[in-house]
Amino acid sequence: MNLPLQDKVALITGSSRGIGRAIAQHFANLGCNIVINYTKAGGSSETQAFSLSDTINNMGLKSLVVRTDISSKEDVKTLFEKVKDTFNRLDFLILNAARAPFKPIEKLFERELRQLVDVNLFGNIFCIQQAIPLLKETQGKIVFISSLGSRFYNPSYPLGMMKSAMETVIRDLSCSLANDKISVNAVCGGIVKTDSFKVLRQMWEGIDKIPEDMIVDEQEIAEVVAFLCLPASRGIRGQTIVVDRGMSNQIIHFR
Amino acid sequence: MSNNFITYEQVLEETKKAIAETLNIDISRITPDSSLIKDLGAESLDFLDINYRLEQTFGIKMARRFILEHVEELYGEGVAIDDTGKLTDKAIELLKIRLGEKAKDLKSGIYIDEVTSLITVESLAKGVMDILQTLPEKCTACGGKDWKFAEHLQLVCSSCGEPAEYTNGDDLIVNYIENIQKERRIF
Repeated sequence: MNLPLQDKVALITGSSRGIGRAIAQHFANLGCNIVINYTKAGGSSETQAFSLSDTINNMGLKSLVVRTDISSKEDVKTLFEKVKDTFNRLDFLILNAARAPFKPIEKLFERELRQLVDVNLFGNIFCIQQAIPLLKETQGKIVFISSLGSRFYNPSYPLGMMKSAMETVIRDLSCSLANDKISVNAVCGGIVKTDSFKVLRQMWEGIDKIPEDMIVDEQEIAEVVAFLCLPASRGIRGQTIVVDRGMSNQIIHFR
Repeated sequence: MSNNFITYEQVLEETKKAIAETLNIDISRITPDSSLIKDLGAESLDFLDINYRLEQTFGIKMARRFILEHVEELYGEGVAIDDTGKLTDKAIELLKIRLGEKAKDLKSGIYIDEVTSLITVESLAKGVMDILQTLPEKCTACGGKDWKFAEHLQLVCSSCGEPAEYTNGDDLIVNYIENIQKERRIF
């Protein structure tokens, strides 16, 4: 029996941990070959990236691990050369990587502000620019991973403004890349208990009061990302799908 | 202010446990002078997880920011880290006072990563100990003078049960910097 994503190739940025890792694992479960990406050499991300790669290879699929700092255009070029050399195709670009300081916008140092934009806006756009030639050939898909910070205030979360900017990038690209048959969408996740949550719980007093049934499982995000890469979603263009267990529908949560 | 309830050996053991659980490594690999970054492979998100575990164990608040970030918040961007990301002479002067022997080879012009890799299991445990030493003489809620253990190694007031209010890690660092500044006028 053929799996839904058999013989396809997905690149997931920032996939050694958290949501990115869950997406990579889920796509592999659907038969997809995976390009795993992480940034920091020699640490726990690297160890986790290679252990994920082993898991995927043991499933009889092909995986490639590439260390890349997406804020560097040269690094991103090398990343896509490696993808081309190894697989000679790309079907799905999943923009998941993010990096941000946790402090109010007015307190950001200039270098923090520049790094915020470098990674989370420039970095994603560099990836998109380099991916387009490959995605044109496969009529591929781009999915960006956003968060509720794009539309609601979260304390000490300047990443939110970058998420809003990227949701706009996604809307515009869905039009400008329509002729190339590349579909572009985003998934906006609610509160997910990944490694980044460890930061949030130190910054937001009372986050532990959010009811357990409002906490999104990373698998729930991964499955919607996969849906946006399957033919069933062909009518959806330039949208940001909110996956937050309904948290943003109501103002009062504390029970 | 002092804390006669919790020993340094207990703190060191709990610190090792928190690191082992976060990094999913065998506790026997961890020695007091292991560098968290260089020897054990910790990254920034791991530090937050380790801190969180220590906070839960002791009922304290660890510092959210590194000492040089506090310096720049107090005295302006650029005084500790220049616009190419390298440490200034002033930053090195402060770190040598703060870190003592461990920092003797630090020179201005190095990058911040080279300093954070000096963080060892022992320095983390000492950081926890510094916070525990701020145990107040009296309960801030009822004025009671006795403490007892609640969950883990969290101290609560024997009379009213309120948790002990320690000074948080960031405030301790800010006090430290301000005292050094008063004495030496570095910045």
